[in-house]
Amino acid sequence: MDQFYQQLINGIVLGGIYALIAVGYTMVYGIIQLINFAHGEIFMLGAYFAFTLVNFTPIPFWVAIFVSMLFCAGVGMLMDYVAYRPLRNAPRLSALITAIGVSIGLQNLARILWGAKPQTFTDDTLPTIFQQISPMKEPKVFFSIFGVTFTDAAIQFSENVSLAYLDLTIIVLAIILMVSLNRLVSLTKIGKAMRACAQNRIAANLMGVRTNQVIAITFAIGSALGAVAGVMVGVRDNIGPTMGLHKGVAAFAAAVLGGIGNITGAMVGGLLMGLAEVFGAGYIDPMIATICHTIGLGEFYDSEKISHSYGSGYRIAISYIVMIIVILIRPTGLFGKASAHRA
Amino acid sequence: MRKWFIVILLLSLVTVWGCQPPDKNTEADPQGDTQGDQSELFVGVAGPFTGTAAAFGEMIQRGAELKAKEINEAGGINGRKLILSFGDDAGTDKEAKLIATRFATDKRILAVVGHFNSSCSLAGKDIYKENGIVALSPGSTNVSVCEGSDWTFRNLYRDDFQGTFIARYIKTKLTEYPSVAVLFDNDDYGRGLRDAFTAEAKKIELNMVASEAYDRENTDFTAQLTSIKGKNPDIIFISGLYGEAALIVRQARRLGIKALFFGADGVDSPDFLKNAGASADGTYLTTPFTFGAGGEGASKVAAAFEAEFGVAPDTWAALTYDAMGMIAEAIEKTYNKDAELAINRKAIRDHLASLDTPEEGYKGITGLTYFDINGDTVDKPAYVKVVKDGMFTTAPIQMTD
Repeated sequence: MDQFYQQLINGIVLGGIYALIAVGYTMVYGIIQLINFAHGEIFMLGAYFAFTLVNFTPIPFWVAIFVSMLFCAGVGMLMDYVAYRPLRNAPRLSALITAIGVSIGLQNLARILWGAKPQTFTDDTLPTIFQQISPMKEPKVFFSIFGVTFTDAAIQFSENVSLAYLDLTIIVLAIILMVSLNRLVSLTKIGKAMRACAQNRIAANLMGVRTNQVIAITFAIGSALGAVAGVMVGVRDNIGPTMGLHKGVAAFAAAVLGGIGNITGAMVGGLLMGLAEVFGAGYIDPMIATICHTIGLGEFYDSEKISHSYGSGYRIAISYIVMIIVILIRPTGLFGKASAHRA
Repeated sequence: MRKWFIVILLLSLVTVWGCQPPDKNTEADPQGDTQGDQSELFVGVAGPFTGTAAAFGEMIQRGAELKAKEINEAGGINGRKLILSFGDDAGTDKEAKLIATRFATDKRILAVVGHFNSSCSLAGKDIYKENGIVALSPGSTNVSVCEGSDWTFRNLYRDDFQGTFIARYIKTKLTEYPSVAVLFDNDDYGRGLRDAFTAEAKKIELNMVASEAYDRENTDFTAQLTSIKGKNPDIIFISGLYGEAALIVRQARRLGIKALFFGADGVDSPDFLKNAGASADGTYLTTPFTFGAGGEGASKVAAAFEAEFGVAPDTWAALTYDAMGMIAEAIEKTYNKDAELAINRKAIRDHLASLDTPEEGYKGITGLTYFDINGDTVDKPAYVKVVKDGMFTTAPIQMTD
């Protein structure tokens, strides 16, 4: 059971990252029906920018995240202004192809600026709780409460279930940002303008909403959230010019799964994709083994004979299978509403 | 008026373009029938200069450049200048095929040093064979890299030797760690090494408790690690490359996994230490060569390398340095400027194939290299290194018999 809880935690962390990126896809789609393929690159730029700041300036890590958010918001708005705004009334395919072009362009720009080699945040640039944990040192226990132990390495729920502070930060940041986004869209004036644009851009414009401004702000918000996800992935894993590709496509799938255009859908979709990926990798193999053994094909499944282990090598595929199943059952996604112009 | 302006603009562009001197290193003339300028000799170097294995590629490029520079400063090969042509295969089989075709059809290139990744060497194998050009790999360890082709060679051991070696080392030298889990990269290198390890583990009754795969596209390995943690192994053997290995080690420590990590030559890169930081402490790995056990010739090269590039060379720089030396020696002994390209290429192959006994072998900084009938290197030992305070150190217990 310990293993189940630990996988649940792993899935939620990954899901939180996907959700933060997916929101960027879904917000833009909701307003201008554009699949902004360059959003994955914004995520990548966010990570690189924070990396550059902490390495070459005395700016501390937490400030760097914030500056990186602002920077990415700027890049997002610039991208809209330069690449998408001139195509606002062009056929949707033109904008889509432009998005792919922007994506390739930014990816190669990063390759030129920072090199093709994946980079990592080294310990001296990170706050103490994010630093690498040496296996040689016994973790120092701070205190224990209700059976939960807080050490300098992680929070131990039991002997085999732990949550590293880095992962905790990712979850907390994702929740805070998601809730504030939700409040922003449903309670503020700009949120109302966004919803109006999403319903009908022309009508909103006729009612006096400055649609171009609203769209720019949408890009800015989505990009800022993407930047946070980028920095956290950079700290947790590594940073490379192609990091936006895999995470971006997975997050896009999450947005589709939740019903593209719907912000709550993107959050739930992200979480589901993360969980599907982790549980697929963790449980498909034992499942196949059990099935083979119960139907008398134990010979067939001898984990030492086969070179491929089925689940863990194909974890990305598993999450897409989940997405495809959902789309087959509910073509509009979990939270999407059927509407005429989305066809 | 405007029309004329455009015509003049175009003409001047064409002139400027035409006056550009051809870039000697990359601009080859694949269709040309001549062997180019006879005072220069071309050798291709293929490796992952970009992509997730780029740190290896960097070392390979520098190792090759250093050897070429030394040769040219000493008067070249029989008075001819040695020129390197680099081909980036990005560590993927698709790109490797393109690079192999480019080298094989380039009428000036006499031989190829490369590729590094086993998948790339395997992808290029048939292309080199069909076109009759030698490919000498300084890094591919998959078992079948040299099988079935007279044109592929390598100057390091194979994965069946390495996998067997690691299993035996764990069984006999790390007796206080009785159980092992394997985490392998789902490509030719990772699977081949894992198969060799598993087979030997079974034979010598090493307790293997889990085997999980991962994909190089991914950067999150917590799911696999959690499954492994449930089996509570004492050692986790990573059958893969340094980039993923660093991520795996970091994520494992965050999950509270205390097990000892063991890697193979794929983990042997300074970037592993840089990326994994403190979490790499205590990691064991095998390597085909370590400067600590290399002797005087090796330390001289290491000093020259450091003076040239500002960093210490690693295993791959050393092996590439030797591979380049072998090719240069073969060219020196066989090159005939009046012969056709195909004959010169064949002569290089025949010379390498003739190095089949310890007496005939090539004495480089990484030891004695000679080939069996496949083109595999025979009798090169494996060394064990261990990470201590963020540095690779030669492990106190070796197993060289």
